[in-house]
Amino acid sequence: MARLKNKKTASKRYWLNALLLILPVVFIYQSFNPEFPASLPETQAGDFTLTAMPYDEDKPYQHDGLYVKDFLVMFQDGGVDEIRQGFLNIGDKPLPIEEAQQHELGILHGTRHGQHVHGLAQERITAGQKIWVTLQTWDGEIHQGSWEIPAHLISDV
Amino acid sequence: MARVSNRFLFQLHGWFSLPVWVLFSFVCLTGTVAVMSHEFAWLTNENIRAVNPDNRQAQSVAESVATVKKTFPDADVTGVSVRESYMAHEVMFTATDKPFAIAYVNPYSGAIQEVNDGVTFIGFMRTLHGWLYFPWHGSYSLGYYLVSLMSVVMLGALITGLLVFKKFWQAYRNPKIRSHQGPRTLTADLHKLAGVWSIWFMVIMSATGLWYLIQSVMWHADIEVDPWPAQLDAQSLPVSSQNTPTMPVSLAQAITKAENTFDNFQTSYIMMPEHNRDTYKLYGGGNNPFYDGASFQLAVNPWNGEITQTITPQNMDALQTIMHIADPLHFGTIGGIWTKLLWFVFGLILSGMSVSGFIMWYLRLAKARTVSRKATAARLQEA
Repeated sequence: MARLKNKKTASKRYWLNALLLILPVVFIYQSFNPEFPASLPETQAGDFTLTAMPYDEDKPYQHDGLYVKDFLVMFQDGGVDEIRQGFLNIGDKPLPIEEAQQHELGILHGTRHGQHVHGLAQERITAGQKIWVTLQTWDGEIHQGSWEIPAHLISDV
Repeated sequence: MARVSNRFLFQLHGWFSLPVWVLFSFVCLTGTVAVMSHEFAWLTNENIRAVNPDNRQAQSVAESVATVKKTFPDADVTGVSVRESYMAHEVMFTATDKPFAIAYVNPYSGAIQEVNDGVTFIGFMRTLHGWLYFPWHGSYSLGYYLVSLMSVVMLGALITGLLVFKKFWQAYRNPKIRSHQGPRTLTADLHKLAGVWSIWFMVIMSATGLWYLIQSVMWHADIEVDPWPAQLDAQSLPVSSQNTPTMPVSLAQAITKAENTFDNFQTSYIMMPEHNRDTYKLYGGGNNPFYDGASFQLAVNPWNGEITQTITPQNMDALQTIMHIADPLHFGTIGGIWTKLLWFVFGLILSGMSVSGFIMWYLRLAKARTVSRKATAARLQEA
């Protein structure tokens, strides 16, 4: 009888993997109804007014040996066309442009309608750090601005 | 040498496939549809067709981009996808009210036939089959691992199946489907016959699937197979206090560079520079159908037209070669629509084999239950 019972259990057990297909349904729904964290308030960098929105509420992830956190940066005042190059980093201070431009990551990229950036960070974001944006205009001038880091992204809170 | 019993091999065959038979069948079925997704999309949406009733010459990709910019003056084009000759050019762009959009431009009429928000049947099927819509965390997705692990299941089931089915080659010379000896025999015959005729297909799918598994591990470990073109030096950009410099090299000139560099370069994908230190990236196929549509790559400096990187089948290392021949074998594009149809048919067969395998096991279980019930009843009668 025990063997028969085992067989009955087995017939159900082999259907269990079908439950995995619930996950794509959930993920498809999420994909068609994406939710993003709140955008950070406007900040000023020279004549430029910008907002930034983290793509998720996760900690920085590792990519090409560096820790990065992804943001969508929108230019409210001033245009992307006026920028020679722009960078975003998370830290105690903005990365010097000489250092920032050595990295393949951390540079603002995209279109006039939205700039993406894999912002350079450390593994842990600590209290006191800020999100820094550094813009270089075509005349070589440097303009910097910053945002306070949302509390949920700080590791030691 | 120790002899492995047929019973053990048979159990092993079941262990490879039965615990994931529904998922395996789903992955096969979505892959089967994905193989023909361009054609299904073509059949169901006339706006993506590149019809040419007046037998005109196709306009270039650069002209299609110009059409989009003219129609949507605030558009920033990010890239272009060029599929089969019967499909419209797909120009990807952003605009003030469009975070992402695709314009379908008929290369023969030059008309924009549709603009959608980027959700397409082709993209949906590719995502569903490739990683089951599981989210990506940086450079990995658990769904991609899950799907590519099915190659191990397939390979294991194939090898044990062939070991269990002694003299399987006789199924080529003497195929038998016994339809009058009950459902167990019929299902078993169908399963074996389909399996034997699909050996070549399962070998291709297992091998390419294993490659995708290795590739996902490499992505996760940040190991690049094709090197990404380096950014331009900041010092190479102009400095100007008078006006806003614009990139002097046009997309049309970049495409001409590619056509002059590679023989018979057939554009498949173009990425526009994403920032001032970025390059035009052009991807294309050549004469060899066993290499994919990205086997020829060119990065062009948009400020001076200099070619900063080239990739061709001739200068690929072993891993790059495997990567660029995997897709045509997996998608069945090597012989155009006819091989895609063949892949579609065998994809359906493979999807069905997972189901027939489960039915075989279930009928076997049902029989065992009946025998067990009869034995119990007999024992009770004797008592």
